[in-house]
Amino acid sequence: MPTGGKKPTSASLGEVLEGLLEAGVDFILVGGLAAVIQGAPVTTMDVDIVHSQSPENISKLLAFVKSVEAVHRRLDDKLIEPKERDLSGRGHVLLTTRIGPLDILGAIEGGRSYEALLEHTIEIDFKGHRLRVLDLKTLIELKKTSTDPKDKQRLPVFKETVRQLEEKYARRENKEDRDNE
Amino acid sequence: MSEETRIDRRSGVDRGLVAMFLKMSPEERLRANDNAFHTIQELRDAYRRQKANERKPR
Repeated sequence: MPTGGKKPTSASLGEVLEGLLEAGVDFILVGGLAAVIQGAPVTTMDVDIVHSQSPENISKLLAFVKSVEAVHRRLDDKLIEPKERDLSGRGHVLLTTRIGPLDILGAIEGGRSYEALLEHTIEIDFKGHRLRVLDLKTLIELKKTSTDPKDKQRLPVFKETVRQLEEKYARRENKEDRDNE
Repeated sequence: MSEETRIDRRSGVDRGLVAMFLKMSPEERLRANDNAFHTIQELRDAYRRQKANERKPR
């Protein structure tokens, strides 16, 4: 039975990510933290992932969430541990863990699952692992129709981040062209 | 950079803050978010403690 699951004792979203990678879970980082990693100056309080729903991956993910004493995030004080069937559907499983909040999403906007999102990801090196992150342009596309006030507030920041990134890459390419001449 | 060019007039986005964040590595950005997360938690806890103390009968 989880003891410290109700409130993270030493929350670190970096630690949640590292734990998932160490456990060998196949997932795509989406949401606010995906944007943070790509340079958007926003603050987010949880890790949002879309996971592969292969039976092997669900077992790994379940073992990981148990190891960090995960329980469903609820308004009351009931401590309910996630079950295998929770991780097998398209729904959203919102958890509190010993190391920080973790949202496990079967699918996101428009029913997009892990497989559908894969081609819209970038891979970054993170603490000796390859971390798959939903690219910022796709994140913007998905959030454009969102009615969530938080998304509406963040969208201009995401767009400005993409604009500056593209400007930066264009400058770098121009410099390389000049150097090669 | 002047305030006029640093802040985008239409969207209100702080362009300077975006530029600053883009200079960091992904791990540094994650750490910055974690630091903000901890600070927010600490401030919320302090606020809750303060409210609880105010409610205590004297």
